[in-house]
Amino acid sequence: MAHIQINNLHKQFGDVKVIRDVNLTIDDNEFVVFVGPSGCGKSTLLRLISGLEDLSSGHIKIDGERIDHLPPSKRGIAMVFQSYALYPHMSVYQNMSYALRVAKESKASIDKKVKQAAEVLQLTELLDRKPKALSGGQRQRVAIGRAIVRDPKLFLFDEPLSNLDAKLRVQMRIELTKLHKKLNATMIYVTHDQVEAMTMADKIVVIRDGIIEQVGAPLELYNHPANQFVAGFIGSPSMNFIDVKVIGKSDASLELELKNKTNIHIPCAEVDLHAIGDKMQIGIRPEKLILDEACDAMQDGEVFAVERLGNETYIYMHTATNNEIVLHAAGDKPVTEGDHISVGFKVADCHLFASNGEVVK
Amino acid sequence: MKINKLLMGAVISAGVFSGGIASATDLNFWSWRQEDIKAYEEIIAAFEETHPDIHVTYTAHEATNYNTILTTALAGGAGPDIIHTRSYGSLEQVAAAGYLEPLNDQVDLSTLSADELLGTTLRADGKVYAVPFASQTVLLYVNKDLFDANKVAIPTTWNEFIAASEALKAAGVTPLANGSAAGWTMEIMSGAFMPNFYGKEFFGDVTSGKTDFEDARFVEALEKFSVVKDYMPDGFEGVDYATMQQLFIAGQAAMFVGGSWELPGFTKAGINFDIMPVPSAAGSGMVATFLDGGYGVNAASENKEAALEFIRFTATQPFAQMLTDKLGNVAAVDGAVSSDPMLKKVAGFHNNATPYIMLVAFRFDTPTGSTLLQNGLQELFTGKKTAAEVAKDISDGIKAAE
Amino acid sequence: MSLASDHDIDLIYQKSLRKRKNMRRLWLAFLLLPPILMLLIFVFLPMASAVLYSVYDWKGLVRGEFIGLGNYYDVLFKPRESWFLFNAFKNNVVVFISLMIVQNGLALVLALLLARKPAGYRFYQVVIFLPVILSTVIIGFQWKLFLNPIFGLVNKFLRMVDLDMWALPWLGLPETALGSMILVNTWHWVGFPTLVFLAAIHRIPKDLIEAARLDGANEWRIARDIIWPLMAPAVTIIVVLTFIGSFNWFEIPFIMGSLEGSPAYSTDTLGLLFYRTAFGSVSAGGSNFGAGSALAVLIFIFIFTFSIIVTKYLTSREIEMG
Ligand SMILES: Nc1ncnc2c1ncn2[C@@H]1O[C@H](COP(=O)(O)OP(=O)(O)OP(=O)(O)O)[C@@H](O)[C@H]1O
Ligand SMILES: [Mg+2]
Repeated sequence: MAHIQINNLHKQFGDVKVIRDVNLTIDDNEFVVFVGPSGCGKSTLLRLISGLEDLSSGHIKIDGERIDHLPPSKRGIAMVFQSYALYPHMSVYQNMSYALRVAKESKASIDKKVKQAAEVLQLTELLDRKPKALSGGQRQRVAIGRAIVRDPKLFLFDEPLSNLDAKLRVQMRIELTKLHKKLNATMIYVTHDQVEAMTMADKIVVIRDGIIEQVGAPLELYNHPANQFVAGFIGSPSMNFIDVKVIGKSDASLELELKNKTNIHIPCAEVDLHAIGDKMQIGIRPEKLILDEACDAMQDGEVFAVERLGNETYIYMHTATNNEIVLHAAGDKPVTEGDHISVGFKVADCHLFASNGEVVK
Repeated sequence: MKINKLLMGAVISAGVFSGGIASATDLNFWSWRQEDIKAYEEIIAAFEETHPDIHVTYTAHEATNYNTILTTALAGGAGPDIIHTRSYGSLEQVAAAGYLEPLNDQVDLSTLSADELLGTTLRADGKVYAVPFASQTVLLYVNKDLFDANKVAIPTTWNEFIAASEALKAAGVTPLANGSAAGWTMEIMSGAFMPNFYGKEFFGDVTSGKTDFEDARFVEALEKFSVVKDYMPDGFEGVDYATMQQLFIAGQAAMFVGGSWELPGFTKAGINFDIMPVPSAAGSGMVATFLDGGYGVNAASENKEAALEFIRFTATQPFAQMLTDKLGNVAAVDGAVSSDPMLKKVAGFHNNATPYIMLVAFRFDTPTGSTLLQNGLQELFTGKKTAAEVAKDISDGIKAAE
Repeated sequence: MSLASDHDIDLIYQKSLRKRKNMRRLWLAFLLLPPILMLLIFVFLPMASAVLYSVYDWKGLVRGEFIGLGNYYDVLFKPRESWFLFNAFKNNVVVFISLMIVQNGLALVLALLLARKPAGYRFYQVVIFLPVILSTVIIGFQWKLFLNPIFGLVNKFLRMVDLDMWALPWLGLPETALGSMILVNTWHWVGFPTLVFLAAIHRIPKDLIEAARLDGANEWRIARDIIWPLMAPAVTIIVVLTFIGSFNWFEIPFIMGSLEGSPAYSTDTLGLLFYRTAFGSVSAGGSNFGAGSALAVLIFIFIFTFSIIVTKYLTSREIEMG
């Protein structure tokens, strides 16, 4: 129900620049996820949109109208906090109806909206309880319910599931996705959880040090990271990086030498930008590494850890040339610590990054 | 070596010295007169010259809590040998509990008047429990310079007093420094003004039960006295003792009603003042007097004989002379001659004096006449009650007292 | 020798368990002893002796005969005494209600303002708290001087701004004396409730206040709907302390007025009445330990019961956070 546009947004606390020149467009009904390392400014960005924090410069527009000068309550935004922030002295009903009561809606209309939201969130039985008497998941639902009853144009979630146990998290994740569909609302969601980001998002925004590194659909980011940071950040376990050196150039490809003296050719659109002798890194996702099979290039090394998850196995190895590599294998792969193994990959599966982190291929 | 010898000498002489003291009798003497420490030490030194075997140590306690400190110590068996007692009701508290030695056959009291002895006599057994030390007189202080400067004559009759006050007021000078914030200063003031109105006989009549405080004389005295409030400072309701003194000393007020104990202070402050009774309609007015206290002996003292020896000394003319010279007191013991003209005047006023009524006669039971009068005067002066209502309250209170 | 049997090990285990339990008890006793002793010496003993004193007739400091509840009857029902008791009690009630409204209300407003961290709030915090650490005696004297009708700063200031009609003898008029003292008390103590309230406000998670702000609440609604209910524990403490303080009010009226609650008993309190009765005063006459003790016992019972009722009632409206 809302189209968000953020232009040249800056925020600094004293001398510390926390948000730097953020430009972002969010479409109606989109579910956008902010990810990035701790302290990169995700929460700050959310709070700037909500109005809980004043921006230093830039614009924020909802449906074409500037809202950055409005007080939080006038922006038509609801926020769900990581701590839930339920009013401890109010019952579930009172918590959910507070905003409506402040807005002086009629008793009947309040009652209708609260009951409706409670129905959707299966809170009907709990309306008279105080937050203290609720489980974590129930509190979470009340926090969401409190947001829903206001019928906002935009929902903001700041790590809403991080206080729940793994199972409940999965459950709430699915419920939230369902809710998003049902409410037809625009949502911005901050998380640390790769799975949440990949499964829930229409669009992921990767932030580093207050700067947006890349925006795109989950699989687009996964398959076509714009730089080495995004490549490394998206995906778990993260992408492997192997040092290479440019030793030759042709019309549309670079000849690269791995440390173990294997040579590979990787197609490259703008060969002229690179010179012989440049240091680069190739990136290969763990699941693209192949064990014990002849490939375009091979890496030998010693296994130092094996994680068996049942249906799959992660093998961690030191290569002879001192890179750490993790590979994904079938659940029953007979490998143990200390084994010497040889892994290979196809040139087609490689990403190539210049020394400044920008993607080459 | 040399140091060693010196030390040895010191030790030996110290031993000899303390040995000498040990054979004398040590007496403790408690009082509330902190301001008089130096004078008392000189007086004690004079006594010790003639009594080398007695050694007296004077200790002054905080005045407002003195009674509590004293009675607590006495109850705990830790009281001093010689006690500076207060008079009338306060003395009775200590004497009635049996803490004081009766003095009638042990001390020559012939140098004291019956009026003065009344202040240290227990009403129950008629015995004297302390040697009266000084009397206080309530009178009027006038700042002569201020009167002169404003060309106002010092009044000699009540009508002149009113006229002078009006003239001073018109000249922008506060006629009277007194305020009503502290109840006791109100009682003092009433002691200076009211006797002239209720007359010489009233004290005898009211103490003998012939009349009570609803007597027309007393009501009328209250009414006439309350006129004075027009001549008190602006905001007199909030003027306390310290402020009154300051107003008079600073020359902001022309008159001050207070006790004779203000004399040394005002003299030291360098004011050109005179003292007089508040003038009556006919002319010379009465002053109110009361006994300030006395010297008694702790009945439980282990050195009773030595203590009595000191008490006998306090009943002699030389002691009274020292009291007069060193402390500026009007000594109770006869025969002291003051070289101070003011003190001489005060003594002269005693020829036309009346007892300071509530302290002398109505501070033995609760509620005391003083509480009743002080509170009543505050109500009268702040306009909360009329003279008749105040008189009735006092009368009822006195009758209910036990 | 054979190895220790299971039975032996059980025995050893039980023994060590017992030993540990004994140690625990010793520790408990050791830790509890000082407070219990303090309670005994400073609360129970004086109370017990007051009760004991109160059932005897006293001649000065000498104990007379046993008279049962005679002293209680005297202080409660004899016309003059009961008038005093009621008058003093009434003043204490006025003091309590006024301090609740003026002192604690002001403290609440100050705390709400300071909680928003205005520029220089640390400075204000110190300034507001400073009088609390000064001695009541000094503050009493200082303000008595300020309120002096002739030399006092208050009236000088009032005259300076042409409010001569307001330049009253504040401490001398029965109508204004108690109120002036209550204001001085407020000046002296307001920093304490302010700091307690401020700490309570800081304890409220920031999220809750931001959530309310997003819910559309303005500053007033946030204060009323969120901060105030969540401050309940601090409010309980302050109400109870104010209650106890008000009914034990002594220093300020003693220093700024007199032992007789000058003028005309308009500033008399239970504390002054007790002191006067028990210890006497120069003009009020001799001490009466019996009546004084009876008063002390009655005052104690009143404060004790009411404090408990107030605490019980107020704690019932407190909510655990989280
Ligand atoms: N009020 C503030 N004053 C000063 N610095 C702040 C303030 N709020 C946040 N910061 C700083 O801004 C940066 C971004 O903080 P922010 O909370 O947005 O990070 P985040 O991405 O949400 O981190 P996390 O994943 O740990 O929640 C951090 O370095 C933080 O220390
Ligand atoms: Mg955050």
